[in-house]
Amino acid sequence: MRPGHHLLNAFPAWMEAHRDAARRSLQRRLQAPILSLISIAVLGFILALPAYLWVLLDNARSLSAHIDHDPRIALYLDAVEAATVADLERYLETDARVERWTWIDADTALARYREGLADPSLLDWMEENPLPDVIDVVPATTDPATLDALRDALAGIAPGAGVVSDDEWVRQLNSLHQLGLRILSVVGVLLGLGAVLILALATASELRERQEEIAISRISGATHRFLRRPSLYGGLITGLGGGVFATILLLSGTALSQAPLADAAAAFELDFSLSLPGAGPLANLLLAGLVLGWLGARLGSGHALRDAP
Amino acid sequence: MIHLQRVTKRFGSAAEALSNVSLRVDSGAMAFITGPSGAGKSTLLRLIAGLERPTRGRIRVNGYDLERLSPRAIPSFRRSIGLVFQDHRLLFDRPVFDNVALPLEILAYRRPEMRKRVRAALDKVGLLHKEAANPRTLSAGEQQRVGIARAIVHRPVLLLADEPTGNLDPALSREILRLFDDFNGVGMTALIASHDIGLVERMGKPILHLENGRVEARARPEPRT
Repeated sequence: MRPGHHLLNAFPAWMEAHRDAARRSLQRRLQAPILSLISIAVLGFILALPAYLWVLLDNARSLSAHIDHDPRIALYLDAVEAATVADLERYLETDARVERWTWIDADTALARYREGLADPSLLDWMEENPLPDVIDVVPATTDPATLDALRDALAGIAPGAGVVSDDEWVRQLNSLHQLGLRILSVVGVLLGLGAVLILALATASELRERQEEIAISRISGATHRFLRRPSLYGGLITGLGGGVFATILLLSGTALSQAPLADAAAAFELDFSLSLPGAGPLANLLLAGLVLGWLGARLGSGHALRDAP
Repeated sequence: MIHLQRVTKRFGSAAEALSNVSLRVDSGAMAFITGPSGAGKSTLLRLIAGLERPTRGRIRVNGYDLERLSPRAIPSFRRSIGLVFQDHRLLFDRPVFDNVALPLEILAYRRPEMRKRVRAALDKVGLLHKEAANPRTLSAGEQQRVGIARAIVHRPVLLLADEPTGNLDPALSREILRLFDDFNGVGMTALIASHDIGLVERMGKPILHLENGRVEARARPEPRT
């Protein structure tokens, strides 16, 4: 029995074969550093562009949290029983979606309205206060779906209350954000496909340089999988390098745009600052690099090895 | 071990490289193919190694029917064969050791066992002291011996050699054929192509003589005493 094929030896041998393939692939890259760096740079640029757009979009969405105008939900209580009002108040105290709320009774409302008028005596002809009691709710979120859910919950408790929400601008901002995401995903997919094709070409040309080694290995009984393995590790190395490079580009690009954006926001009297992407998005960027690198190597090696003698 | 029945090989519309060749080499035997260059010796070896497909006829090698060999079965078939080329076909981007280790790497041998076997093979061809050298720095004879070490390192059941003494002087040629004789002595079936009829005849092994793709003569000289 060949030692390489003994069951107990199979796993360590497999590990060793993979480690060798990875090591050889890394060595080959270090021997031709310029070409490898070009592949890494191309992938890095391709990844950094949509990532930067995403950072801008993500920050733009958080703009709604920075604008000094929270969405409001007003509950008009003229047709609501006192018991139901008490229910409402208990509910508002416990629901986490509620930031704060204020009870404004009809007299206070009228008094405030009167203060706003140039000539308060204009209201003196009224025999009674036409305004209802109002509960003014400030939600803890600007997310439209959560706002809808909260409004429905309040309307459910007090079916007679007039529930009016002032969150149209949140919806507009959100739909713009959705549009931006859609455009970004189209751009991202197209750029990703481009990256895969470029890396596939690089892999295929690298395999052409190894033609003699491949021919000899084939004659010695190498499988397709064995011949492909170093290329796939090469793809992962390029992918990781591209991801790291894209991360550097993204962080420096974001940092460099912070000051000009803050100036622009100040000019529009917006309290807004561009924040650096967190660990989660950066991990996704690295992962995207690895996936694209692997796909490119898989495509290129599959093609080149099929054509090889 | 090797059984060819009326095998014909034609490349495109050219004349037949091999016409109606039948051949049988028993397991554990050693035989030679002779003939001038262009007689079809290399084609015959390439057919036996499964590197070419016959236009007509049937080839059975080591229990494999090559006509019915599926692409998935080709690697395992080739692992049972060792091939020696006239032009060595060594890889100059790595040292001698790595060249010889290639078949073992393909078979996923582990490092310590691989090292043992590569060094045993290099020792057998007298090049243990050159394991770290780049094959480019070796003489033609040494390169040929590295190629032989690579062909036998995984202990194939069948050794095929195409003009293994092609570029060598007579003394080196005899030494290389003696090596093949040694491998055959430990049970490896060997089929060797050579245009050097005088050298081959002195080995006292069965000989198939090819001319223009046809079998011209079969000889079974008496073994040397």
